[in-house]
Order: sequence, then C-alpha cells, then structure tokens
Amino acid sequence: MTSATSPALRTANERRRVGSIAWHVGALVVLAVVLYPVIWVVGASFKPSKDIIASLDLLPTEPVWANFSGLADGISGIPITSFFTNSLMYAVLAVVGVVLSSSLTAYAFAKIRFAGRNLLFTLMIGTLLLPYHVLLIPQYVLFRNLELTDTLVPLVAGKFLATEAFFVFLMVQFMRGLPKELDEAAKLDGCGHLRTYWSIVLPLSRPAIITSAIFTFINAWNDFMGPLIYLNTPEKYTVSLGLMMFRDQEGISNYGSMIAMSLVALIPVIAFFMAFQRYLIDGMATSGLKG
Amino acid sequence: MTLVKEAPPRPAKKRPAAPAAGRGGRRRENLAGYLFMSPWIAGFLLLTAGPMIASLYYAFTSYNLFTPPQWVGLDNFTTMFQDPRWQKSVEVTLKYVVVATPLKLLLALGVALLLAQKRRGQGLYRAAFYMPSLIGASVSVGFVWRALFSDDAIVDRTQKIFGLDVGGWIGNPDYVIYALVALSIWQFGAPMVIFLAGLKQVPQELYEAAEVDGAGPLRRFWNITLPMISPVLFFNVLLESIHAFQVFGSAYVVSDTRCGPADATLVYTCYLYQKGFKEAQMGFASAMAWTLVIAVALVTAVLFWSQKKWVHYEEAAK
Amino acid sequence: MGTSRNVERRTILKVAGASAATLGLGATTACGGDSGSGDGTVTLRYAWWGGEPRTIAIKKTIALFEKKYPKIKIKPEFTDYEAFWEKFQTQASGGNPPDVFQNAVGFLRKYDKRGVLMDLKAQADAGNLSLENFRNGVLANGQVDGKQIGIPVGANTMALVIDLKAFKKAGVEAKFGWTWDEYFDALQTIQDKLKIAGDTGYFSIMYLYDLYLRQNGKAFFTDSDLGFTEDDLTQWWEDGYKRVRSGLVADPKKVEQVKPKSALSAGLAASEFTWDNFSIRYEGEGESDYGLAPIPTTDGKDTGQYLGSLMLSAFSGTKHPKEVAQFIDFMVHDPEVGKIMGYDRGILATTEQYEAFTPTDDNNKGVKAYEEEVAAAGVLGKITPHPSGTDVIEAAFLRLGGEVAQGKTKPADAAKALFSEAKAAFAG
Repeated sequence: MTSATSPALRTANERRRVGSIAWHVGALVVLAVVLYPVIWVVGASFKPSKDIIASLDLLPTEPVWANFSGLADGISGIPITSFFTNSLMYAVLAVVGVVLSSSLTAYAFAKIRFAGRNLLFTLMIGTLLLPYHVLLIPQYVLFRNLELTDTLVPLVAGKFLATEAFFVFLMVQFMRGLPKELDEAAKLDGCGHLRTYWSIVLPLSRPAIITSAIFTFINAWNDFMGPLIYLNTPEKYTVSLGLMMFRDQEGISNYGSMIAMSLVALIPVIAFFMAFQRYLIDGMATSGLKG
Repeated sequence: MTLVKEAPPRPAKKRPAAPAAGRGGRRRENLAGYLFMSPWIAGFLLLTAGPMIASLYYAFTSYNLFTPPQWVGLDNFTTMFQDPRWQKSVEVTLKYVVVATPLKLLLALGVALLLAQKRRGQGLYRAAFYMPSLIGASVSVGFVWRALFSDDAIVDRTQKIFGLDVGGWIGNPDYVIYALVALSIWQFGAPMVIFLAGLKQVPQELYEAAEVDGAGPLRRFWNITLPMISPVLFFNVLLESIHAFQVFGSAYVVSDTRCGPADATLVYTCYLYQKGFKEAQMGFASAMAWTLVIAVALVTAVLFWSQKKWVHYEEAAK
Repeated sequence: MGTSRNVERRTILKVAGASAATLGLGATTACGGDSGSGDGTVTLRYAWWGGEPRTIAIKKTIALFEKKYPKIKIKPEFTDYEAFWEKFQTQASGGNPPDVFQNAVGFLRKYDKRGVLMDLKAQADAGNLSLENFRNGVLANGQVDGKQIGIPVGANTMALVIDLKAFKKAGVEAKFGWTWDEYFDALQTIQDKLKIAGDTGYFSIMYLYDLYLRQNGKAFFTDSDLGFTEDDLTQWWEDGYKRVRSGLVADPKKVEQVKPKSALSAGLAASEFTWDNFSIRYEGEGESDYGLAPIPTTDGKDTGQYLGSLMLSAFSGTKHPKEVAQFIDFMVHDPEVGKIMGYDRGILATTEQYEAFTPTDDNNKGVKAYEEEVAAAGVLGKITPHPSGTDVIEAAFLRLGGEVAQGKTKPADAAKALFSEAKAAFAG
C-alpha cells in the first residue's frame, strides 16, 4: 500500500494527479478491509438469532428487526437503559477521575521541583510494566475487606488516585512542552501553584487531557473483568456484563439481541470519539513523543 | 522514547536556575509537590505497592483464597516451569508477540504515512480506521472473528484463490493463533495515531531540502522520516509489545472463552486467569504473574538498551 | 419563603441521595445478609445461574414467596454459569456469599470442605424446612458425610439427544438397552447414508465416561480419588480418536468453529450426549427436530445412570438461618412454584411440585417421558461421590479429550496429564 502511494512530487502536475488517485485507492482498500467485520456485525444484527453463529454471509437474506425490538423488553426483567446508565456512570466517573488526578500529578512532576521527584517519576513509569493481573487478586481482597464490593468504588478508585501511569506520563510530557515563560509570569504575578495549575496549565493542556479522556472513556466502557469481579447486583451491571446475560450454556441463548445490544453499545463510544478525536493527534504530538 | 531519557525531567545543569527563594521556598516547593502528588502517592501505596507486595508473598505460598496462605518456598515456580500447559502458554504468547507486534506496527506506520498527506477525506478515513479499536474485545468481535475465519468464509475463500487450502483457522490448532494476530492487526488505531503525531512533527524544511538535493521518496523516507520518527517508533514498539505480552480479551472472545482449541490460544494471561479465578490456585497464579513482570521488564530493558543504536533524539526537534 | 426554601433543600437532598444511590457509592448493599431493619424485615440474597427464561420464572416465584412472607425480602443475583462460579468463589472466600444459592452436585464437597455450606438438618428438625416427599431418593444428592447441604429442586439424568430426522432418514432406531456396538453401528449407517458424522465427541464428556465406568462396576470418582486407571482412560480415548479418524465422530475443527452452537444443532452430527434438561437448547439453535434416546449399555441392560440434581444451598454464616430455611422450603415444596418453574432445572424433585405441573410443550413432555422410561427400566443406580475438585477435573477432561480429538496429544499422554491435573485439583 505504501509503495502504491509514493508521495507525489510537487514538481510535476501529472504525477500529483496519479499520486492522488493512488492515495485514494490505497485508502479505500484499507477502509474495505477495516470495515468488513464491522459491516458483518451490523448485518448479523438483522439476522434471525438462530442464523448468527457460524453464519458465513455478510448480510442477512431477509433482514429482521426482532433483535432490536427484543431489546425493548430488557433482559431478565431489567431494562436495557439500566445497563447503559451504569456504564455511562462508570465511564464518566473514570474520565473525571483520570483527568483530575493525572493532571495534578503531572503538574507536580512537570512544574514543581521537589525532593524525590526523580525517584517517584521512575516508580511511576515502572508501574506501566505491571500486568493488571498481578494486582487484581490483592486489590479484590482489599476492597472486599473495606466492604466496597458491589459498588463502583473499586472500579473508579484507581482512576481518582492516578494509578493510570500512561496518562500521567502523557500529561507530564505535554506540560513540559508548555512555554516556561507562562508559569514564570504567573509566579511573578503572585500566583501559587494551585492557581497556575488551574488557570494556566490545565487549560493549555487540553489536547493531552482530551486524549486521556478518550482512552479512559473507551477503556471503561469496554471493561469486562472489573465489573465482572466487583458487581453482584444485576441492576448495577454495566453493558459488558449485561451482554453476557443473553448467553445460556444449558438452554437457549439469544445471540440476536446480544449482537444488537453490542451494536447499540458502540454508539456512545463512537459519539464520544467523534466529538473529540480532532484533539487526539495534538494530544499525542505535543506529549513529548518528540525526542 | 523519552521515558528514561527524560526520566529525571530536567538534567542537573538546570539546578542553578532553581527558585532563588532559598530554603523556605524550597520547603514550600516540597510541600506543594507532595500535596499535588498526594492522590498518586495514595494510589501507589494502596493500589499498586501494597498489592504487589501481597502478590509477591502469595507467589511463595499455596493459597486457595479460603484458607490462609501456606508458605511453600519455590514450589510454585518449580511446578510452573515443569508444567506443560505453562510452557505451552509461553510458547503461544511469544509467537503472538513476535508475529503480531511488527505486523501491526508496519500497518499502522504505512497507514499513518498515507494519512499524513493532506488529502480530501483524510479526517474521515482516520476516524474510520480507528473504529476497530473502539470496539475492543467485545462479544460481537468474538462472533465476527469466528465467522470470518471459519471454513468457506471470506478468509478461507480468499486464501484458496492463492492456492492455500488450509480450511478455517478457528478450529485448527495450528492456525487459530493467526486469527488472533489478525485481530490485533485490525485494531491498529492507537499506534497509527501516535505515528501520525510523530509525522506531524517532522519539519517540512528537511523534506524540501532533500528534494532540492534530488532525493527520491524512498531515500527521503529512509533518511529523514525514519530517523525523525524513531523515538515515536520506539515508543510504539515498547507499548505494543507490553500490551501483546498481556493480551487477554481477544484470546478469550475469539476462542469462545476457552483459549483453545487444544490450548492453541492459551495466551499467558489466559492461563493465569484459569489458574487464579477458575481453579483458585492464587499462589501459582501470583508466581505466574511475577514471572511475567520479570519477563516484561527484561524485554523493556533490552529495548531501552537497543535504542541507543537506532533511536535518534534530534536536539533540533526538542 | 421559608417553606419554599425547605422544599428546595429537600429536593436537593433527594436528588443527591438518588444520585448517590445510583452511583452505588454510599452503599454496603452487598451485605444484604446483615440488613435486618427496624420493622423486623429481613433481606436474603438469592443467587443462581441460568438463562433469561429461568430468571424470569424464578423472579415470579420470588414474588409469590414475598407475598406469603411479607417480612422477608429477596434480593436476586444472577449471571451465566461461568461467571456465577467465579463470582461465587471470590465472594465466598471473602465470607460474603449469597444467603441462598443454586448449587450442583459437582460443587458440594468443594464448598463443604471450605466450610461455606450450612447443614440444613438442624433447620429441618426445627420445623422450618421439610425433607419429606422427595421423589426417587434424590434428597440424597444433597447429602455429604451425613450432612444435608443441598436441597434438590429437580432431577436430571444423562441422555443421548438425537436428530430425529437424521435417524429416521438413515433408518436407524435407538432402543432401550442397546449396546455400544449397536450404537456405533447405527452411527456407521448414518455416516454411510447421510454423509454426516454420528456423534459430536462423546469421549470428552466426563459424565458420560462416568456412566461407562459404572456399567463396568467402576465409577469416575471414589470418595477422594479417580476410580479408574490411566490404562482405562487411554483405551477410551484411543477408541474415540479412532472414530474421529474414521469420520464416525465429527471433525473437531468443525465442531470448534460452530461454537457456541452445538455441533448437533449445526447439523455436523446426528447425536450428542448431554443432560436431559439441557435438551431444549437444540430446538432453539437448530433446524431439525430433536429427541431423547437411551444411553448405550455394555451388557444390554444397565445404562449406569443415576439422577443428578440442581439444588439450593445456604451459606453457613447467614445471619438468618430460619428465614433461609423457610425460603428453601417454599421453593422446593410449593405447588405454584412447581407450576412456574416446570422442568427447567430437571424434573421437579418433590411430589407436590411434580404433581402440580403438567408439561404441555414437546420438549418438557419428552423429558418427562424419558425419565419415566429410565425409572421404569430399573436402571437408576445410586449416585457416586463427586469429590472437591470435580469441576476442575471436568474442564480438564473436556480440554484433554479435545486435544486427543485434534490429534495434538496422544491418548496415553492425555490420560497421564489428566491424572496429574486431578491430583492437584483434589489437593486444592
């Protein structure tokens, strides 16, 4: 693909046109491959439930609405909206938590010179390497002892306590890239760190913050393991857990509604992504991925 | 990448520029620093360091969650190294990491190069290419993947055109891992965005100068783009390999929860999960987890060591 | 003005309270067991696994119970089978399992060993729970070492589910007392005439091998160990693999790729062994008609069958043992409950419920006819023990059988692996 789209030389007009066509052809090929599975899922959601598993056709022979209309009845007496509200609550809290705690921590790393900073920074980076599973069991024991299972607390506590090192790192790098003159000017004006953080650094760090928010939202929305382990009451289940309730290893599974709901569940993530994606590149670009 | 390069954020030479406020100022800075850091410190102690120490302890015990952990020394580790399923999971994971990571990065880089050009519809393509990453490892991905890689489905038919008749991949222990690899490649959105960010920062003047010198597109890619984005490439290699070592969700949904057939998609964390949460052998699972930590740390160290040879930190770009 | 401000404040508080409640933040609702509120109302957590029809039915029975016992509130928790046991394990280890929960024979000793299960004898003696009127001796399914740690809600037994159309088309018939040879001959005829496999992979099902062993005077488990030798199992898997190679058993690659659908409903094979009350699944998934057929025998008579059970168990540490017992009593004896539940968890276990429910659909009728036929044939034996670790061994048996079928592991090696994994499972 890349060779097909050898950058057109600016000099020759003709080559530019060829380059342009090649570019669009290349992009369309990638698009077709990337979207094929997505179209399959959309197609499957209009197939009769019996036909979904192991079906080879991309599109249904005769589209049915039953999978979607079935959602209106809820699952096992729980309205579908309940799962969506819970997921939304989780995702929004996660975003708020990550943005607040990570930006505070990042500010300290980037803008305050305090004893032990380098050591703490190295420790923070080190936590990037930890597999989630190492911590899962002891964390579960901890929250269980605090009697906090079956609440959102275990799911979002880490977000409010800046344990997501990747985002802290992203913001640190971004804040370091901000012109030093700004916070020095603020200091001269008599602003303390809190003011500098809140009214200067935070607004300027918008791309990095939004980038973190996008990733956090997607991760929380798609999280399965966390809710599975911590939530017990079906009324508190998130979408990812709710989807599993269509499954029955010993009886009839409703794959139709399962796939329909997973499709509906995509809408909020796509909406969130679309609304903010233009910041994504900037957030990454200015976050010290430069040398 | 900047991880360690800049780990001590500003090198010592900047020290003299420190606030002239003297000792009181420094104390105030320390206080402010730790106040700002307090959420992280609390999180680190409570949710990271504490649990880490606990799981390190469990790794040397026999612990079924119900009765208190019993110290068994190195037993978990010796059992683990001799366990054929553990060996299998290591083999599967390494295969996955080694095959999926480069392919995914190659595609992400290629597409990023494509999208870095200013063309109509560029933003739309970018959003569309990111779409698979939004879906994550949901059950519908499991369904579609199992369908696409079954007998006579599109992948099978396509490969038959090229004379490769191996049948569906999903039921075949020798091929199913490549269905997983394909899933990883399909979700190339995140590294693509990071590459795009890197490409955006390559100064245009460099290309213009090279063009004046008569360098063709390949030469320009090799001599300018690649060195200029090498820090970004390094960052992606690091991040994607760490993720690949920890892959779980996609193996779980693609194999219909069993990480099979015949343990062919038994990635490391899947076995860890089976041992810990299905069989309640928390000691064994913790030993597995710590072995993974050490392996990942080693890989990271090697990557950092290697970056001296191929990652260029251009002063100009700083 | 003052009042309006009050109203405002109250609204705000209410909103705040509501949002805190939805967030699930200020709550220790997880511990429903503790919630004896001022007016003497008691809340019990009740958990089960199963699909939507089961959940909807159980919710109806809960409503009935709450009407009869207004002072007891039931808080339902439900998921699918896999998630249920993971969740249960983590909760129980934290001393926080549900007060009452659905249980199966394979988990009794495991959680008895861990002290999680209440001996319901005392409650029965106190008159809160009746142990009378259980059919066919299934009450024994809930007994371990003289303790009554589970109360059966239903009885089920292994069966052969067959594709009726395929069997008819091939002109073969499943007869009571048929031998394994006759069974495999029938599969051969199906394969010859219809070009589909006969079976979906019988040799990976632990509960079927158990029946085969029982037919031969052994059993899968003894009290604390495996009841057969490595050679026995090697033989069983070698035979199985031979039948995969010859096409009598469906190609494991194809069986794998139609999952989570069964290979029987996907039309890859004409029969599959499973528990009789799971048979409803095939109608829901497949295009053909399905029916229950007898288990093949070794001697032309004995199928080795027994009645298994789903049951209700109680947490040994519940704060409300009396209410728990009353709840279980209602759930297993009340005729209305029987009418609502039907045979979803097996043929109803008590005479009150059994008599209250008359199946009207083909599936339930089939299950009833099958169990009556089995009972009439006099082949039902006593259930053999299922030691702690049964669940882990069942999963290992399925996995290793699959490896044999795929030709990835030699039967002898697979048998060896099973024995070593079983050893660890018993110890756990």
